[in-house]
Amino acid sequence: MIKALNLTKTYGNHVAIKDVNFQIDKGEIVGFLGPNGAGKTTTLNIITGYLSPSQGSVEIDGLDIIENSSAVKKKIGYLPDVPPLYMDMTVGEYLEFVYNIKKADPSVKERAINEIIETVKISDVKNRLIKNLSKGYRQRVGIAQALVGNPEILILDEPTSGLDPVQIIEIRNLIKSIGENRTVFLSSHILSEIEAVCNRIIIINKGEIVASGTPKELRSRIEGNRKLQLKIKSDKSIIDDILKISGVKNVSIIDNLKPEEIEPDTIDITIESEKGKDIREDVFMLAAQKRRPILMMAEQKFDLEDIFIQVTGKEENKRN
Amino acid sequence: MLAVFKRELKSYFTTPIGYIFMGVFLFISGIFFSLMNLLQNDGNYVNVLNTIVFIFLFLVPILTMRTLSEEKKNKTEQLLLTSPLRIWDIVFGKFLASSVLFLITLIVTLIYPLIIKFNGYVAPTEVLCTYVGFFLMGCSFIAVGTFISSLTENQISSAIATFGALLILWIMEWITQNVQSGVKSGVIFALILTALIVLIINSTVKNPYFTGIAGAIGLIIVFSVYFIKKSFFEGFIANFLGWMSVLTRFDSFSGGVLDISSVVYYISFIFVFLFLTVKSIDKKRWS
Repeated sequence: MIKALNLTKTYGNHVAIKDVNFQIDKGEIVGFLGPNGAGKTTTLNIITGYLSPSQGSVEIDGLDIIENSSAVKKKIGYLPDVPPLYMDMTVGEYLEFVYNIKKADPSVKERAINEIIETVKISDVKNRLIKNLSKGYRQRVGIAQALVGNPEILILDEPTSGLDPVQIIEIRNLIKSIGENRTVFLSSHILSEIEAVCNRIIIINKGEIVASGTPKELRSRIEGNRKLQLKIKSDKSIIDDILKISGVKNVSIIDNLKPEEIEPDTIDITIESEKGKDIREDVFMLAAQKRRPILMMAEQKFDLEDIFIQVTGKEENKRN
Repeated sequence: MLAVFKRELKSYFTTPIGYIFMGVFLFISGIFFSLMNLLQNDGNYVNVLNTIVFIFLFLVPILTMRTLSEEKKNKTEQLLLTSPLRIWDIVFGKFLASSVLFLITLIVTLIYPLIIKFNGYVAPTEVLCTYVGFFLMGCSFIAVGTFISSLTENQISSAIATFGALLILWIMEWITQNVQSGVKSGVIFALILTALIVLIINSTVKNPYFTGIAGAIGLIIVFSVYFIKKSFFEGFIANFLGWMSVLTRFDSFSGGVLDISSVVYYISFIFVFLFLTVKSIDKKRWS
């Protein structure tokens, strides 16, 4: 659906993005993640045809964004990093204006606009001037604007930036619901947000794509040894038995627990095992056999935060 | 195009700019009408229009200063440029809105010649022709202002630059009367002009071969004219500037003649500047 081919954009000597390649298929909700200044906005501006790439090209449904710009732009709804609002218009007037410039079907104008207003829940401010709206409402109007003309593709640049926590959750749910029958590409520098909404992630750092895949794929990519954390009602002798289980590489005692986490007659240990080897059942059986109750067993998971730091940090080291 | 036009025209009235423009225009034209016609018991209304031409110098910058610069500043430009609209639609829609506001103001001033008509005689063709010329000249200035507002995102610098540009157009007539007019300086001026045109071509087509061919053709024309008809370059600068002068062109209208070449001149002038505006917007995407 969206295909970015070798996109490069330079501003004078500054390289904003370099050889960016990716593909987004129909119906996907893809997150575009990167620290501030990584080139997210530049990439989105190129995909939507606002900027032209120094090199490379963008194809939407097989059509080039520059050669077939009118046809392609009709398919895209875009919320830039700053919502493009006219302060001297009311919300209703503004959406009508957007409807007209997007050349959507004029016969269903009123109904279509009202539907959008319902979807993003701005009906109570419909007749107010945009300059009098709060930031959260302005952001909603920005999203409403992107929905006008019922585009197949939605491109949202940091849709929740500057909102309060409640609004963020509302906007996320909104994106999820409007993404049910559309292709959505949204950028953010906040991981939890992307993880909550997207089913695939592309990570960009310093203008280059450093990783892409589903959250699960990304996790497994950086996961080295698996780690298991245990609390067992036992003494230290059980450690030797655990070490005999096949696949276990190392067992260590956790001694930096907080006082309230320490229980009498128990030990806390971390078991490291080989990649791809699930030893949880073996550990359970062993403890049962030795009549040592396992009070807690938890697998340490890498969250996206780790992935993010790892892929963006790696890049840093490579350059220095 | 129509959507941009409507929004723009409406925004003149949701912001003070439309009212300031109309108010000041009507106030000043009213003063001159009273001074020159009513108080003098004179029916020559064309003189009033001739005199208040200076009004454009400071009113057009107010009218056009925010046209495109504000879009850039508020980032609404992104909305327009990522919509299916062509850049030409945006620029023309905006230009049209400014022109229509100007036209509405002019229509209001029609009341002055009507007042004269009720009390005496007014030459209808002369007044009408002058109005046509006045309108076209105003639109030319608006096109210049629209172009300049596309170069900056600051309204104030847009307004001041427009004022400066209009001032230069204004004193063109005066420059014309005082320039050197030898054959040699004429040739040099023609060469500079050729170089300028080649530069503009180069920045639009970005093709070195095409630019080279255009430059060669330009040089051939200049030199062949030089060898065939040397006298052409005598007073060439003055003739050229005079021909280019927006104000000089207006004179033919106030004589009561609808000079087609002048109409064509104004329309071309407007289109050249709107074209430059489109180019300047388009170029920013590539830089």
